[in-house]
Amino acid sequence: MLLEVRDLRVEFATRDGVAQAVNGVDYTVDAGETLAVLGESGSGKSVTAQAIMGILDVPPGRITGGEILFKGRDLLKLKEEQRRSVRGAEMAMIFQDALSSLNPVLTVGDQLGEMFVVHRGMSRKDARAKAVELMDRVRIPAAGQRVRDYPHQFSGGMRQRIMIAMALALEPDLIIADEPTTALDVTVQAQVMDLLAELQREYDMGLILITHDLGVVADVADRIAVMYAGRIVETAPVHDLYKAPAHPYTRGLLDSIPRLDHKGRELYAIKGLPPSLTAIPPGCPFHPRCPMAQDVCRTDVPPLYAVDRGPVSGPGRGSACHFWLDCLEDSACRGPASDTP
Amino acid sequence: MPDVRRTNPGPDPESGDRRPGEHPPGDRPPGEHPPGDRPRGDWPDGGPDAEDGAVAGTGFGGSMDLATNEGRTLEDDPGPDGGGPSGRPRSLWSDAWRDLRRNPVFLVSALLILFLALIAMWPSLLTSGDPLDCDLALAQEGSRPGHPFGFNGQGCDVYTRTVYGARTSVTVGVCATLGVALLGGVLGALAGFFGGLWDALLSRLTDVFFAIPVVLGGLVLLSVVTSNSVWPVIGFMVLLGWPQISRISRGSVITAKQHDYVQAARALGASGPRMLLRHIAPNAIAPVIVVATIALGTYIALEATLSYLGVGLKPPTVSWGIDISSASPYIRNAPHMLLWPAGALAVTVLAFIMLGDAVRDALDPKLR
Repeated sequence: MLLEVRDLRVEFATRDGVAQAVNGVDYTVDAGETLAVLGESGSGKSVTAQAIMGILDVPPGRITGGEILFKGRDLLKLKEEQRRSVRGAEMAMIFQDALSSLNPVLTVGDQLGEMFVVHRGMSRKDARAKAVELMDRVRIPAAGQRVRDYPHQFSGGMRQRIMIAMALALEPDLIIADEPTTALDVTVQAQVMDLLAELQREYDMGLILITHDLGVVADVADRIAVMYAGRIVETAPVHDLYKAPAHPYTRGLLDSIPRLDHKGRELYAIKGLPPSLTAIPPGCPFHPRCPMAQDVCRTDVPPLYAVDRGPVSGPGRGSACHFWLDCLEDSACRGPASDTP
Repeated sequence: MPDVRRTNPGPDPESGDRRPGEHPPGDRPPGEHPPGDRPRGDWPDGGPDAEDGAVAGTGFGGSMDLATNEGRTLEDDPGPDGGGPSGRPRSLWSDAWRDLRRNPVFLVSALLILFLALIAMWPSLLTSGDPLDCDLALAQEGSRPGHPFGFNGQGCDVYTRTVYGARTSVTVGVCATLGVALLGGVLGALAGFFGGLWDALLSRLTDVFFAIPVVLGGLVLLSVVTSNSVWPVIGFMVLLGWPQISRISRGSVITAKQHDYVQAARALGASGPRMLLRHIAPNAIAPVIVVATIALGTYIALEATLSYLGVGLKPPTVSWGIDISSASPYIRNAPHMLLWPAGALAVTVLAFIMLGDAVRDALDPKLR
């Protein structure tokens, strides 16, 4: 197993008290595998990624528990110095907004080359040649000339390619892409995702794709982990999850996607708001918004049950719902508020 | 040289003025681009190389090609200094320098400052007289051949004194600015980058210094100094001036620190000093340079102010401030005694402030 996150907990000290951003997240990523981490803003998906990368702002952030095993080592036990040599070389991150993630006063060639200077101790000249090679790899036309350009001289899609090239520079084993296509328009999104997927196959890397876009996930991911209020609420192979979700929250998300055959009808929305991280409801954190909620949901935190029975079940499926079987069997596990007949 | 990047009509992949015969695609490996053989007219369509690369290399067509071409038209304007595609890589500074050379405000102020520096170093280039060679019989006399600016209250030649006064003013201005920029810039950057206790301490300390009125502080501190050199004045300016720069430096480092690219550099394995020096400092230094350049003018004026008040430089040092001070009682009888040194002071301060302005525009990558 390439990466194993076990019971990770992260808190932030805020003015309104302690915000529990991540409350016991478990997930694994294998080499060559794409795990999509899905969730709303504030569900803890980015914070988990930052904790894995070791770029959490401490303080106010604080990792209060769990372990992050990367190729067998617990990253949380490494010294900052060792941690830094892992970052970039063995795991890399692609950020959401490529324009703001590239240094505006350095040419892209300098920034790409920096990877080789920092980690490999190359000369600037060799590093530049490597930068051109990388830009070719991510299919930037006329790389030899454009290597001297500044980030603002590139289009959005091109900039994201450069970010991808930077992340790929040292051929890491794991890439975390934090909403890599959110800032791009739809046609460019597809190109960038295809490129990322292709390079991942080529290098046999593990990829954690953080997104809130279910459409992006369907094409590239192998497995999905759905997060809510800092917990994984459901995990499943991507097609199983789309076919039959085993958690009412996932069901709600899927039903919220606009669809052509729903033309003219009101779009479904999950009722209520995500909970404040400073006051996560007791029991199942989704219960105030859940159409299936029973008394037990208000008191008992559901563990991640293995989904081993019922239709579309299988190994590797899990759901943090006390009534996952009902949800799995009854495709309308969202109660009376539903607008479908 | 025309500014191609701004006057270009924009990318147009279908532009009819392409001359495909001139550079048949494929006669040159992509990625290599010999300088000088590309006619200007080819730029709007991105040139045959870009076209070739975009279509053959990506096959994305449409929007991607457009984006590529846009990038190409924005690309470097090959200047004679070797900043072109085949030259050595451009940096922020070479770009800024190219912008500056075309800015008339910069040219005028730079010429003035150059001239000032020249006469500060070799005043004898412009005058053969001695600023301390005075004849009381000529006191307050007006202009006459050989003495274009007339004489001051002690019968000294105003022209010679004005020329010699430049040295003191420039020395004080430059040294005070360097001291302030180094001390304030470094302290502020460290405080901004590391934050915490060190930052809190420094911030309170700057508050204390901000609370000291400059002129009052000068009157108190410098009145006890008996030295006749410029150093106590420079020292006083650095002492009271560094908090201003430190605050600006701290602020811009904090702003730059929060940028995503610093986080990205961290995520890709950059160390603390590398982040500060390579990613934060170049993005944070521009405001420091600008404020320091403008402050240079004000330090020259401050020297004049302090000398006028009698606590700055003292005779027999020749300085504009001393001359303005000694001429002010006679402004009705002999205005020339005041106007020449005051005019020189005003022009010098203006030149440095204009320079600061031009540098600010050139260092802002977003204005490119």
